[in-house]
Amino acid sequence: MGRARRMRRAALNLAALGVLAVSVFPVYWMVITAFKPTVDILTETPRFWPARPILDHFAAAVRAAGFWTFWRNSLAVTLGAVLLALVVALPAAFAVARLRWRGRRGFILMVFVAQTAPWSALLVPVYIIARDANMLDRLPTLTLVYFVTTLPFTIVTLRGFIAAVPPELEEAALMDGCGRAEAFRRVVLPLLAPGLMSTSLFGFITAWNEFAFANALMIKDQGDRTLPIWLSGFSNVFGTDWGATMAAATLFMLPVLLVFLVLQRRVSSGMIAGAVKG
Amino acid sequence: MARTLARTARRTLVIQPRMRRTGVLWPYLLVAPALAGFVCLLVYPLARSVVISFQHFRLGELIRGGADFAGFANYAEALGGPEFWAVVRRTLLWTAVNVVLIMVIATAVALMLPHLGRRMRLAVMSGMVLTWATPVLAATTIFQWLFQSRLGVVNWLLVRLGFDSFRGYTWFADGGATFAILVALVVWQSVPFAALTLYAGLTTIPGELYEAARIDGASAWQVFGQVTFPILRPLFGLITSLEIIWVFTCFAQIWAISKGGPGGATATLPVYAFQIAQSLHRYDLGSAVSTLTVLMLLTVLVIHLRRMFREEGGA
Amino acid sequence: MRYRLLAAAAALSLALAGCGSAPQPEASGGAATTLTVWFMRDSLSDALVQRFTDDFQRSHPGITLNVQIQEWDGIGQKVTSALASKDAPDVIEVGNTQVAEYAASGGVRDLTGKVAELGGSDWLPGLAEPGKIDGRQYGIPWYAANRVVIYNKDLFAKAGVTPPKTRDEWIDITTKLNKGGVQGIYLPGQNWYTLAGFIWDEGGDLAVKEGDRWKGVLDTPQALAGMAFYQRLQALGKGPKDSDEANPPQADVFGKGDVAQIISAPGGAVAIEKANPGLKGKLGFFPIPGKTADKPGAVFTGGSDLIIPEASAHPDEAYEVVKALAGEKFQLDMAKEMSYVPNRTSYAGALSGNEATAAMAAGAAVGHATPNSPNWAAVEARNVIKEYMTKVLTGGDAATAAKAASEAITTILNATS
Repeated sequence: MGRARRMRRAALNLAALGVLAVSVFPVYWMVITAFKPTVDILTETPRFWPARPILDHFAAAVRAAGFWTFWRNSLAVTLGAVLLALVVALPAAFAVARLRWRGRRGFILMVFVAQTAPWSALLVPVYIIARDANMLDRLPTLTLVYFVTTLPFTIVTLRGFIAAVPPELEEAALMDGCGRAEAFRRVVLPLLAPGLMSTSLFGFITAWNEFAFANALMIKDQGDRTLPIWLSGFSNVFGTDWGATMAAATLFMLPVLLVFLVLQRRVSSGMIAGAVKG
Repeated sequence: MARTLARTARRTLVIQPRMRRTGVLWPYLLVAPALAGFVCLLVYPLARSVVISFQHFRLGELIRGGADFAGFANYAEALGGPEFWAVVRRTLLWTAVNVVLIMVIATAVALMLPHLGRRMRLAVMSGMVLTWATPVLAATTIFQWLFQSRLGVVNWLLVRLGFDSFRGYTWFADGGATFAILVALVVWQSVPFAALTLYAGLTTIPGELYEAARIDGASAWQVFGQVTFPILRPLFGLITSLEIIWVFTCFAQIWAISKGGPGGATATLPVYAFQIAQSLHRYDLGSAVSTLTVLMLLTVLVIHLRRMFREEGGA
Repeated sequence: MRYRLLAAAAALSLALAGCGSAPQPEASGGAATTLTVWFMRDSLSDALVQRFTDDFQRSHPGITLNVQIQEWDGIGQKVTSALASKDAPDVIEVGNTQVAEYAASGGVRDLTGKVAELGGSDWLPGLAEPGKIDGRQYGIPWYAANRVVIYNKDLFAKAGVTPPKTRDEWIDITTKLNKGGVQGIYLPGQNWYTLAGFIWDEGGDLAVKEGDRWKGVLDTPQALAGMAFYQRLQALGKGPKDSDEANPPQADVFGKGDVAQIISAPGGAVAIEKANPGLKGKLGFFPIPGKTADKPGAVFTGGSDLIIPEASAHPDEAYEVVKALAGEKFQLDMAKEMSYVPNRTSYAGALSGNEATAAMAAGAAVGHATPNSPNWAAVEARNVIKEYMTKVLTGGDAATAAKAASEAITTILNATS
C-alpha cells in the first residue's frame, strides 16, 4: 500500500511539474530574453540565465516615441469598452435570468450566435461604415467595436452570476418595501460585484490585444495609436529587434497579468453558474 | 442511492431560475441597449458584408465608392475552385484536433489538481494563469522565437535529447510542422481556461458522492464516467462549444505566425478569407467566403443550439 | 398584447435611434495649414527628418509639417485605409514594389503634369516605372538602395583573401572563409531579392508579360540556374533556410563577429555597428559579383516613391512637399546621410568618395525592378517566392517547385481587379 501510494504520488507530482514547465517556460524565456544583451540572444547554445542582465531593451521599448500616449489610449479604449459592455449587459442578463417574456429564447440564441461573428472579415464593412459616419480616427470608434465583440460573452457570464444569487434574497427585500430597482441595487448588485469584475477580464484581454481594427480605423493621427501597434514597432527593413520586442511584450502583458492574478478564481466560479443555463 | 445522488447533484448545480411575471414592458427595456448594440454594431456590418459578397467590390470600389451587383458570381467562384474545399477540410481538421486536445488535456489537468499537495496545486494553477494572461501578440512572438531553426531552444533541446536530425530543422518550411506549432500554441493558450473552469466545477461536487461510489467499489474510470461527467455535463457542453467557436474563428495566431503558409498549409477559413480580402483586395470574394464560414460554423454548432433552445424552457 | 407590441416597438426604435447619430467632423480652421506626411520606420534618421521639417517650414510660411513614422507590420492595410478615407494624409512614402497597386486603385493623385518640373527625364527607372500606369505618373521617385556585400575585413585578412570580381572567385573565397567557427557567408534561405539578381544575371526573370497576360517564369533553365547558384552560396554558412534576412536580423548575426559576409543594403552597416560597436572601421563593401569580371551582378533596385492621395485636403501644398523631398538639396543631403542612391542619375556624384555607396552605385547601373503589375504586391504578400526557395533549399526538387511557384505567380498576376 505505502509503496504503491508513494509511486502514484511521485508520478502525479512529476506530471504536475511537466504541466508547470510547459506553461511557464515560454513566458520565462520571453522575460529572460528581454534582459539579455543582443549578442547573448543570438547564440546557438541557449543560456537559461542571463549572465549579465541589462535593462537596455526595456529602456529602448519605453523610449519609443509616444509610448505613454499609446499606453493611455489603450487603457482608455479598453476600460471604456469593458465598462460599456458591463453596463449594457447587466440589465440584459437580469432580464434573461429572472424575467419571463416573449422572445427570451430568441434573445438567448442571438447572444450565443453573436459569439460566432467573423470579426476578421468584418474589418472592411466596419471600416466603410465608420468612414461614412465620419468616425475614422476617433478612439471612441474602437471602443464601440471592442464593446460589441465582448458583449455576448459578458451577457452569458453575467447571467450565470445573477442566476446564482438566490431569488429569495431579492424577494425578501421586496417584501420589506423596497422597489424592484432598489432591491436589485441593495441586494443583488453587491453579491454580483466579483462577477462583474471577473467578467470584465475577458473584455479587457480581447480589447487590449486587438491589432487589425486599431490599425485600419486609426489612420491619420499618430497620437491615436494603441499599444499593439507599438508592439509591432521594433521591426524595420533590417529586421526585428528581438530583445526590444520581448521587453515590449513583457511590459505589454504586465497589466493583464496583474488583473488576472487578482480575479482569476472568480471567473471560474462564474462559469459554472453560467454553465447550467448556458 | 441513485435518487439521493441525483437530488444532491441538482441541489448543487442546477439553480432553478424562478421566473417572474411582471410589467410586460420591463424586460424589453432591459434588453434594449444590448439589442441596439448588436443591431448597430454587429448585424448592420454583417449585412453590409453580405451585400458586398453579392457585388463586384475591389480596391477601386473601396476607394471610389459605387459597386455593381454581381449576383452569385463570388459564391460560384468560391465554391467552384478546389482550393475552397481544401480549406474547409483543413478548417474542420484544425478545429477537431485542437478541441479534442484542449478538452482531453484540460480534463486530465483538472482531475489531477485535487490530488496534488497544496503548494504544488497553487504552483500549477499560477503557471496556467500566467499562460492564460499572455497576450496573443506576445505569445506568437515567443513561439516564433522558440522554434527558430538555428537559434531556437526547441531544436537545441531536441538535439541534446539525441534527435540529431533536428539540428537546424526548419519548422516553418514544412506545412505539417507549422500546423503542429500552431496547434501547440493554441492548445497552450486554451487549456488554462478549460482546465481551471473544470477544476472549479469539480470542487462543487460533494465529496459524499465519491465516497459512495468508492464504497460501491467503482474504479477511477467508473467514478469519472458515472459521477463526475454526468454532473458536469452541462459544463463540458458549454466549454466544448465555446472552444469550437474560438478555435474555428481563430485568426490572430495563425496570421501572425504563418499568414496561412507555407503553401497554404495553415490557411483555415478565416485566414483564407482575410488573405483574399486584404492581400488580393478581393473584398467581394472574401465576404462571400466569410458568409459561408459563418453558415458552416452554425451548422457545426446546431446540435448544441437546438439543445440549448429546448432546455431554455419558458418563452 | 398591445403593451407587448409597444414594448417591442420601443426597443426597436431605441436601437435604430442609436444607429444614425454620428458626430460631425470638426471644422478645420485657421490660416495655417498642417500637412501630414508619412515615412516608414527608419527610412530616414531622426536628424534628417528634423532638418527637412525645419527647412521646409522656414521656406513655406503658413505650412506646418506633421511627420509620422509608420510601422512595416500591416502597412498595406493601413495605406489602403488611408487612400479610401475622406481625410487622408497628404504625402505617403510607398515601397517601389507596392506603388503600382496603389496607383492603379484610383485613390492616388495623377502627377503626370509635374514630371518635367521634377526632372523626370533622368529618374531611376526602377523607381519611375512602378509609379507609372497606362502612361500616367502617380508615384514620384524618392530614393533607391540596392544590395551589396558587406564583409568583415579582419576575417578576410585572416583567411588571406580579397574581395572577388566574379562569381567563381566569390565561391572560392567564401569556401576558404567558411572554416572553423567562421561562417563564410550568412545568407538566409528567403532573401528573394538576392535570388532575383542571380536569375537576372542568367538572363531569366521572375515573370514576363506576353500580350496582356502575365506568366511566372521561375521554371525556365535560366531561372533554375540562378536558384542553383543561390543554393551553392547559401550552403557556405549557417543561414536559416526558412526565414529571411529580418528574422533574426542579419545585422545582429553579423555583429557577433564570426560571419565573414552578408548581402545587405549599405545602410545595414549602421545596424551592425549598433549591434557591435567593436566592428566600427572593420566593415568593407563590394558589389555583388557578376558572372564575368567586366560586369557586376544584377541587383534589385529597392526604394520608395512618394504619392499624394486623392483624398488629401491640401493637394497643392502636398505637392510642394513632394517637390522639396524629390529636389536636389534634400536628395544630396539624404544620399550622404543614409547611403541611398538619389532619385536622378544626375545626382549620382553625391555618392563618390565613400566605399559603401561606390559599391552600391556600381550595382545600381544594372538595377532591375520587379514585374510592373499592380498585383505584384500580392505575390510578395503571399510569400510565393520565399516558400519556393525554402522548398528547394530543404531538399525539394527544384524543377517541380519552380513550376508550382510559376503557376501561382501566373494566377495572381492575371487576377482581374
